[in-house]
Order: sequence, then structure tokens, then C-alpha cells
Amino acid sequence: MPSTLIEPTTKLPPSSHPLADIIHRLERGGSMLPDTPENLMQIIGLYKAYAIPMDFYWRDLLYIAERVFLDPLPAFKYFLPQEYLDLPNHYAGETADLRIWRGYSTAHQELLDFMAKGELKTKIPKLFHHLYHDRINMEFAEECMRAMFWHRNMGGLLEPYMDSEEYKQNADRVIRAYFAGNPIMLGLYRLFPDLFIEQCRRATMYSVLGLFWEVMAPVFLEMSDIYDEGGFQGVPDAMNFLVNGIFAIAGRPIYHRVHIRGEWFDVVPKSKGFTWLYEAAFPYVEAIFYRTSPFRGTKSYNAQAEQVPKDQNDFHYGILYADKFPVASAGIPPTLLHQDMYHFLPKYLVDYYQKFCRGNDDMLIQLAVSFQRSMYNVTSAVIQAGRAAFLYPLDDPNPRHLMANRAYFEGQLSRFSNPKYNMNQAAKILAIQSQDYR
Amino acid sequence: MLSALIWLPAIGALITGLVPIKSAKVSAVIVTTIVLILDILLLGQFNLGESNFQFQENLPWLDNLGLNYTLGIDGLSLPLVVLNGLITWLVLCFDREIEERPRLFYVLGLLIHSGVSGAFLSLNTLLFVIFYEIELIPLYLIIAIWGGRKKNYAAIKFLIFTAISGILILAGFLALAWLAPDGLPLFDYNALRLVSLPLQTQVILLLLLLCGFGIKAPFVPFHTWLPDTYVESATPIVMLLGGVVAKLGTYGLFRFCVGLFPDAWSLLAPWLALWAGLGILYGAITAIAQKDIKRMVAYSSIGHMSYILLAAAATTPLSLIGGIAQMVSHGLILALLFDLVGIIEKKVGTRELDVLNGLLNPLRGFPTISALLILGGMASAGIPGMVGFIAEFLVFQGSFSKFPIPTLLAILGTGLTAVYFVILLNRTCFGKLDNNTAYYPKVFRTEQIPALVLTSIVIFLGIQPQWLIRWSETASVQIADRLPAITIVSKTLQK
Amino acid sequence: MTTIVDIAVSNSDFSTLVAAVSAANLVDALQSPGPFTVFAPTNNAFAKLPGGTITTLLQNIPQLARILTYHVVSGKYYKNDLRECKSLLSLEGSPIDFWVTDEDFEVNNATVIAPDIEAENGIIHVIDTVILMRPHWFHPIMEFGQSQIGEQQPY
Repeated sequence: MPSTLIEPTTKLPPSSHPLADIIHRLERGGSMLPDTPENLMQIIGLYKAYAIPMDFYWRDLLYIAERVFLDPLPAFKYFLPQEYLDLPNHYAGETADLRIWRGYSTAHQELLDFMAKGELKTKIPKLFHHLYHDRINMEFAEECMRAMFWHRNMGGLLEPYMDSEEYKQNADRVIRAYFAGNPIMLGLYRLFPDLFIEQCRRATMYSVLGLFWEVMAPVFLEMSDIYDEGGFQGVPDAMNFLVNGIFAIAGRPIYHRVHIRGEWFDVVPKSKGFTWLYEAAFPYVEAIFYRTSPFRGTKSYNAQAEQVPKDQNDFHYGILYADKFPVASAGIPPTLLHQDMYHFLPKYLVDYYQKFCRGNDDMLIQLAVSFQRSMYNVTSAVIQAGRAAFLYPLDDPNPRHLMANRAYFEGQLSRFSNPKYNMNQAAKILAIQSQDYR
Repeated sequence: MLSALIWLPAIGALITGLVPIKSAKVSAVIVTTIVLILDILLLGQFNLGESNFQFQENLPWLDNLGLNYTLGIDGLSLPLVVLNGLITWLVLCFDREIEERPRLFYVLGLLIHSGVSGAFLSLNTLLFVIFYEIELIPLYLIIAIWGGRKKNYAAIKFLIFTAISGILILAGFLALAWLAPDGLPLFDYNALRLVSLPLQTQVILLLLLLCGFGIKAPFVPFHTWLPDTYVESATPIVMLLGGVVAKLGTYGLFRFCVGLFPDAWSLLAPWLALWAGLGILYGAITAIAQKDIKRMVAYSSIGHMSYILLAAAATTPLSLIGGIAQMVSHGLILALLFDLVGIIEKKVGTRELDVLNGLLNPLRGFPTISALLILGGMASAGIPGMVGFIAEFLVFQGSFSKFPIPTLLAILGTGLTAVYFVILLNRTCFGKLDNNTAYYPKVFRTEQIPALVLTSIVIFLGIQPQWLIRWSETASVQIADRLPAITIVSKTLQK
Repeated sequence: MTTIVDIAVSNSDFSTLVAAVSAANLVDALQSPGPFTVFAPTNNAFAKLPGGTITTLLQNIPQLARILTYHVVSGKYYKNDLRECKSLLSLEGSPIDFWVTDEDFEVNNATVIAPDIEAENGIIHVIDTVILMRPHWFHPIMEFGQSQIGEQQPY
């Protein structure tokens, strides 16, 4: 399939990296995922299936960050009010700041249809759908939030800011306003102020992830629409669309505000200049794609035997390393996300999966592998965007610049060939090179 | 009625051999289903209080040879006949994808069924030997044709061992017939029971039969044919072999060794009990060392057959009930385990403990099969609530008062059974499914049916053991009554 | 003499930069005594950014100001002063990397096309690419690949 690959004018000697082939592909403007029509179909289909639950995730994350906030018993935090379903996406619809998706700005129609009837295809009260888990599983989104919150030293200025005196004062003001007229909670706040501030930081992280996904949902939907129109020639095109999206949206502000009795309170004001790229996207990729945390499931880890790294920087439980077999937990590999995406698979993917392995019976696993492929492509886009932002064009005539690019690619890919803690065996980068990995 | 159980499958085999290949299976299914229904009817009509043989049939055949067609059933043979019907039905009716020469397979399967039923029902020792030997030929063929890589070796080994077993038994019966006082060769079981021979003669004849049946069951050290034969045989065959055919050995032990030589039996009983205890430990310890799950289950069978020997040695009514229950329970559990192991082997392509992993995975593993394997392992290890517990508990309860040390060894063996089953289950069912290799085909509903049926019976009889032991209570009491107390015999010997 | 802002305004090559600086309300700051060293991207440099980037930044002034302040270092640094210096902290707070030899003068991934333009309150180096803050993992990543291959390559 012809795709716009670059043949650099200045040739470098071949790389001696264990993943040299993939490095050479990246140097020619390719993705870590091989460029095949099958891969393109799988990743685009998954982007679409991911975008629709994501449309719920970001709305609910913002709802929790802005309205539920520190509610001590947030039993109904997943029950999204109409106001948030109608919340206009800043990057979709007529009123968008920058129109990334041609569609509308309110919640996606497929999402609304699913929320009404669920997998049961019957209209029963929302509460029963909820208890039966026949719904969008926000647990996955919260797990992502926790991973971003838990992994420290992810870069960006937000994290130091959350430890600053200024943040504490903001939080203090908002907490007092939120619990105004509630002597019990205010008393508890007086007794355990740090606990409340920490909960407030968590709410901030809800907001960060919500604002991050608010952008990604329309990006993925637009990609699906372009593919349906026959717009993408190959995997690199899809990757480049993402790279452009990342650049276009890099400066999108990241903030946290809370709505209390008709009034907005800033916890992290927009004026701090926090951006989507530095304070949300890079930490997100690091925390979710690479690290996350060991999950409970049929495989158990023994920390004393050093099966779990001592250093959080060495964690490698993200989707890029994930065991494709679901283990029925809300962690990563995100079984619950697979369940969510399962409801919104485009028809061509359902037909495709039926032809392989156990067809309907293990579609969750097959889509998990496609999801893995698509996230390798997103990671490739992030790597290429980083290369474009911090280093040099791929066709730069200066060999020193090309060597720098190569060092960057090699450094990124070394994360997948690192023998420490058998990361090289856990990483699925070699597996996705083959179409037989399903 | 009893003749029908023998000749229906035989005629069925003939018909199956004549119909076109495509309808061979239909024919076999019809025949085995009818036989199973007859078995169930038999259960309904069986008189629990009657201590004599029931449904007796007697046709003179070669009178001057003493070979008569005498059939009968009692509480010892009834459960085994029904077990035979059930397992043959499960094996032949549910799709095993016998691709190679399916018609011959069904014919041989029916012939085996016929021979085994005949042996269980014979009340004439010569007739017993004839059926016992007849069933060897189809078994040999079925192992040699549908076996694994070393099938020819395994089939020949099996044939040689079992043929020797047959010869020893035949020799024992012939000697018994000629030593009978009347002068006429005497093969009639009911008549033989009344014959009393000198103790030394009894001991020699008993040893002959013990060796013969010991090979068939088998007991250590006659067991060496078993691992090879079981491992190389195809799943349906090994279910038949382990589930039913091996029970001929223990059946012979109860029927002929204990039944015909009560005095000699009492004399040898302490040694037999010790033999059983050591056999149980041997089976369990060798099973622990195995790396192949089928071989592991095969060795577990060696250990579990020795419980029956222990029960027979103790010869209290309770232990005898336990022994008969153990025959049935072991037949059910072993067939279940071999069935599951066979499914795993077929789907995964290996039986290596070190390769198998994580089969409990709900989407790409075999959750139902793995769950049943766990149940089967628990049943075999004698976990309460399943039939294995009932049988073993009865054996222990019945034997402990008489032979405490061997019984303790046997209990230890039960503990070790749990050890190797935990190893097996932990490696195969639990853990992480390998991302690179786990593209196993799924298990179809029809493939699950035999295991599901066996499991439900295993659990039902575990919860409602009365349904298992009620048949054999009278027979056990009767056998036990005929035995002199062991101490008395020893005293007479000292005089 | 003229301030940094005056020089920028007088040159049509900096019209985008000037527009951005005034949108971000940084004109007064850059007219203060300073001194500053400014790495000034030309219009061409801004044009190299993918479409939408500028639009989004112009909609969000604090974020725009942050990018712009990354191009400013406090103090007066000529090309020769930067020879020995691998990196300096920008006003934004993140470090800027330098590569200075006789022939080359590079700032992060930008090449200086006109160095040492003197103003009353500082120095201007004209660069051909808008520079963006390199995250803290950037340098470790650059070295990580080499450490695995086991051979040192210059970059």
C-alpha cells in the first residue's frame, strides 16, 4: 500500500539496535506498526470504538472533577446529568475553538443509544443497568486517572504546582466553599487537612484526564470518518494525522475548576499556562501506555522476589506491554475498556474478527490486540511529534541532526528492548509486527 | 435379560460392520443406548435383599467339558455392568472425531463391551476366561490402530501382559477344576464355592489367580504395561481401559480369589494389605514425578486400584462395600480425567506439564474443561462431596480396625494424591496463558457432554452415596461371612 | 539605542513574532531594561508549525506567553559566551540547549541564522525554528538508546 514515506537524502549507516528495522522505519516517517491494510483497518476501527466510550469518559471525568468533587459518598458519580451530556466539546461542532471533528459537539448518538438500552437492549431503570454493569465502565477511566496521579515525576509544571502553597490555598478556598454549611465535613477538614487537599489533587487529575480525552474523542472520530471515505492510504497517514492533531492542540489549556452553588471556583486557573501537550499528553502516555501498575488477576506478582520493579520509573504494565488475555480486573490490560469498546465496534471489524480464532467467543481478546496495535500507532505519533518538536526533520541534510534523530528513536525503542525485569519479553512490539498476533 | 446385555452389543457390532460407513455411528449409538437402557432397567428390577445370584441363566453347552453357559448377577457385578454400559455409551456416542476407519472403531468398541459384560456376568469359570480372552483381541486392535506415536509397542506390551494374565487365570481354574473331588472337571461357580481344598493347595491356586488378576488391575509390580498402554491409547480407548476393563482384575479378585479361597485369603490378607499400602504409595509418588499429565493420571490409577486390594484384604462388610464402591468411583473418575486430559491434548497439542499453563482463561482457554478437571482432581483426591470420598472413606473405615498400618499408608497415599493433583491443576489450569502460543480451538458442547455427565454422576453419588452402595450391601455381607476370622486360620496352621 | 521590541518591529521578518508578543502582553516586559537574550523565530519559523498550533495558542494567551517566554533568557549572552555553556534556564523555567562551534550555532533544534544582534536591553539571535520546551525525559532518552547498543555516537 503506497504511503508517504520519506527517503532521506543523506544516508546513515544502519543502526545496530536490536529493533533496528523498526528504527529505520521510523526514520523514514513510518510507524512502529507495519503498514498493511489489515493493520490500518484494525486501528481505525478501534479508534472509532474507543472514541465513543471516551466521549462518555471525558464528560463524566469533568462532571466528577467539577460537580461531584469531594462528595464523601459519590454513589451516583457515574450517572451523568443531561447538562454534561450536552456539554459542547471544545473541538467538535459548530461552536468549537478549533474544529477537529466535523460532527456535533454534544454526546455521540451511538453513546446515547447504548446508554438508553445497554447490551440487554431493553429499557430498564438506569440503576439496574448500572448494577448489572451494562453501561460504560468508568472504572477504567478512573484507573487511568489513578495511574497518572500515582506515577510521579512525569514532567510538566502541574505536578510541582500541585505541591505549591498557591495550590493549597486555592484548594482550601474551594473545599471551604464546597462544604459550607456542613459542620461535620468542615470539622473533619480541620482535623485532617492534608487528606482533603490530597482528594482535591485527585479531583484535579480527573479534570486533567477529562480535558485530555475531550480532544482525543473528536480526533479519533474524525479519523474514522476519513477512513470510511477512503481517505487514508496507509498506517503512516493515520499516524501523521495524529501528529498534526497533537501539534494543533498542544497549547490547549489544562485547568481545574469546581462548580459550587452556581459559582465557578478555580483550583488550577487557566492563567497558569498549563498546556495539553506538556501537562496532560506526555504524562498520560508515560503513565498509561508505558507504566500503569501491576494488576490483580490470574497472575500474581511477588514484590519481594523483585517481580515488581523497585523503581516506579521501571514499571511496565501499560497497554504496550499488556498481556492480551483479560484478567477480569479494572486495571490494565483494561478488560472493562474492552467491554466498552466491544459495544461500538464498526461492522467491518466484527466481520473481520469472526473469521479468526474463536470468532464471537474471544472477540474481546481480538479487539484487545487491535487496541494494542492502535496504541502502538498512537505512541508512534507521540514519538514522531516529539521528534518534530524537539529535533529535526526526517529529510534534514545534516548528518549530525539525523544522528540525533536516530539516538532519539533508539532511546524510545530501547524501552521495548530493555532486558531489565524482562521488559523486552513483555513488550508487544515484536508481536505486532506480525499479522498472526491476534 | 443378561444374555441381551452380552449379545446385543455383539450383534450390534456385526450390524455396524455391515452398514455403510456413514451410518456406522448411528448404529453404534442405537445399540449402546439400548444397552444402557437395559442396564438401567436391570437396576430397577434388581432385588436388593436377595443374597443369591439373580437373573440366572443356564444353558448346557459342552457338558462333559464342564463348560456351561451360566450367567448371573449379584451386588458385585451389577454396578460394574452398569458402569460398563455407561462408559461405553459415553465413549461411542459423543463425537470423538474418529476420522480413521470409524466403522471398525465402533465395531471393536461394541465387541469390547460385549466381552467385558460377558466376563462380569459369567458364573462359569471357563466361560469367564473365554470372555476375558475374547475382549483382548479387539482391545489389541483398537490400541494398535488408534494409538499414539508408540502405539504398536504399547499394544504388544499390553497383549503380552494380559495374555499371560489370562493364562495364569486359566491355569488356576483348570487346576481347581481337576482337583475338585467329583472327578468331573468342575467350572460352575456356585458349585466351586462349596468345594473345600487343603489350605496349601488353596494358597498355591490363590497365588496363581492373584498374579493373573494383579496384572490386569494392575497392582505393583505387575503394572509396567499400564503407563505405556494408557498413554499411547487414544482418549476413548483409555477411558474404556481405565474406566472398565481394568476393573475385570479387581472384579476377579473379589469374585474368584476371595470368593473361592476364603481360608487361603485370610491367611495371606495381612501381606496383601501391606502390598496394597505400598502400591498406593508407589503410585502416588511416581505420579508426583511425572511431567506428562496423561502419564500422571495413569500412575494415579495404579495407586487407586490398590485401595481395592486393601479393601479386599480386610474383608469386613464395610471394606468390601467400599471396595466395590471404589471400583465404580475409580472407573467414573478415571474416565472423566482421561476424557479431560484427552480434550486438552487434542486442543493444545501437548500434555507437557511445563508447557501447559493458564487454561482456566475464560476467553482463550477452556474454562469449562479446566473447571471440570479441577473437580475431577478433587474427586480423585477424595474431597468430600464427591464419590471418591465415599469410596475411600468406606475402605479406610472398613480396613483400619483390621490392618491399621497399611490403612495409614493408604491414607498417606490419599494425601499424596492431593499433592500431584495440585501440581497438575496449578500448572495446567492456573497461571498465565502464553500470549504467543495460545490460539487453541474452542471446545464444542458435544465434546463436553461426556465430562459433564460423568461429573454430575460423581457429584450425585458423592452427595447421595446410598445410590452407590445399596446394590452391594448384601453381597458384601455374604462374602465377608464366608471368611473365617484371620486369627483362627493362623492358629489352625500352627497346629 | 533601540530596545529588543523596536528591532523586532522594524523588521518585517518578525511580524508573526511581534503579533504574538503583543497578543501575549509581553511588549512591556521586553521593553524593560533587562537585559535579555532573545531567540527570535522568523515568520518562516512560525510557518513551519502545523496549522492550528498558532490558532490554539492565540485563543489561549497564558499558554502562548509560556511558549514565548521559553525563547527568552535573562542576561546578555553573545554567541561566544554560549560556547562553553551547554544549557541555560529560560524565563519559562525549562532549560534551552546550545550547540556552538565555529561553524554552528544551534539552539535546541533551531539554527541561528543571524547571531548577536545587539539591542539596548539585550541580544537577539535570529532562529529558523520555533523552539519548544524539551521535557525532562528528553536527555535520558537520547542517552538510553546508546547505553543499550554499547557504542557512543555523537549527536
